[in-house]
Amino acid sequence: MRPGKRAQARRERPSTYTPAPGRRFNVGDRVVIKHAFPPGHRRTPYYIRGKEGVIERICGAFPNPEEVAYGFDGEPAKVLYRVRFKQNHVWPDYKGPARDIIEMEIFEHWLVPASGRAKPARLPQRND
Amino acid sequence: MSDKPVNKGPHDLGGTAAGPIDTTDHGMKFWEKQANALRNTLTHKKILRVDELRRAAEDLGDQYYKLAYFERTTMALRTLLLEKGFITEAELKARMAEVRARFDVPAAAASPGRKDAGR
Amino acid sequence: MSDTSFDYYSHKKHDHGHGEHAPVAGRDEGPPSDYEIMSRAMQELLEAKGVVTAEEIRRRMEIFEEEFPYRGSRVIARAWTDPAFKQRLLKDGKAACAEMGVDLEATRLIAVENTPDVHNVIVCTLCSCYPRELLGMPPTWYKSDNYRARVVHEPRSVLKEFGTVLPEHVTVRVHDSNADMRYVVVPMRPERTKGWSEDRLAEILTRDTLVGVTVPRVPVKG
Repeated sequence: MRPGKRAQARRERPSTYTPAPGRRFNVGDRVVIKHAFPPGHRRTPYYIRGKEGVIERICGAFPNPEEVAYGFDGEPAKVLYRVRFKQNHVWPDYKGPARDIIEMEIFEHWLVPASGRAKPARLPQRND
Repeated sequence: MSDKPVNKGPHDLGGTAAGPIDTTDHGMKFWEKQANALRNTLTHKKILRVDELRRAAEDLGDQYYKLAYFERTTMALRTLLLEKGFITEAELKARMAEVRARFDVPAAAASPGRKDAGR
Repeated sequence: MSDTSFDYYSHKKHDHGHGEHAPVAGRDEGPPSDYEIMSRAMQELLEAKGVVTAEEIRRRMEIFEEEFPYRGSRVIARAWTDPAFKQRLLKDGKAACAEMGVDLEATRLIAVENTPDVHNVIVCTLCSCYPRELLGMPPTWYKSDNYRARVVHEPRSVLKEFGTVLPEHVTVRVHDSNADMRYVVVPMRPERTKGWSEDRLAEILTRDTLVGVTVPRVPVKG
């Protein structure tokens, strides 16, 4: 299909996904969610902070909700990924089988590569 | 004993201690359907953004736990409409008094709000 | 334990004569709460200021009531009968719905498929994100604090509360729809539905099966 026709087909059939050409991560990459607890509107659930998972899918680029929530346009768009976690890595007390998983969408600026990550000195965890 | 988690919003409920789920769908009252349609019209027309409404609900703090779902969303809408200057507190107070009078509800009898049956 | 035969919208669909009908100038029983009063007051002020019109709101109420709740089961019934469509649905939910003339507006849909090895269940722990243009308004339990708190942490216990028991060899896959995507479950099609029309299949694709807390049940002929 010629590029013009492809774009036209895309317009005619709205998609779930948007392009993310400048992305940092790819499907299969191991990532760690930032272990950070800033105030304000965040779409990274508290329970997943600091956990390690794998990129399951690239959703595309979207306006940053952390900015949109305060009336700004959230541009430039940030890449959004679906990340898969093993439940028994998320919850120390998980009662189900080791095969159970949980998936969610995490924005790129909340992700750190898991491989080659220097283990930080363990700071006192304020929610210990 | 752990301190309260730092900067955890009241809405951030995943993994928190909770009781049994009321698995019956209790549907929506008429006013809730209308409130939903109002909010949806505003976001559909891009007058407000869903992210702003979420943020305003999250900023309810401890009040969040005391309110049922549509009470939270009503308070969030109020916050935004005031914040963006669509309405003033005085206007809202006056109109609420008018609405109350139309429903023939004495101000003192107005309930703080029924909780959702499904908690 | 849930009344698994009670699906709010399927109940409505069949209850033509004496079901609840949402009139435009409707009222609930009993005195209004402060929140209802506040909501009505805000709506009236916005109408008076020309920000919204009563007609716009009425139309959204209507589409939420008459249109949205019935789409999900139709789309998934199509996926059950048309394997190529199912693959397109799994690849790009919004585009597949558009093929069927189902306009999801701003919603971006990811369809996740149940298999003999994987059972999917959906939640939004942070608020109540839900594919409203596909399924209508979420049920009260979906929006409840207890569901949001527990299904990510102990999904199997939660599923049991809905009457759904999964063997240990089945992976439970929880989706926390916390950002821009919305989710629908494609349940496994029961063997006993061989030869059924899409309409008949849609009947057993209740809303709860499409969120993943129950699985479709073939009614036992009495």
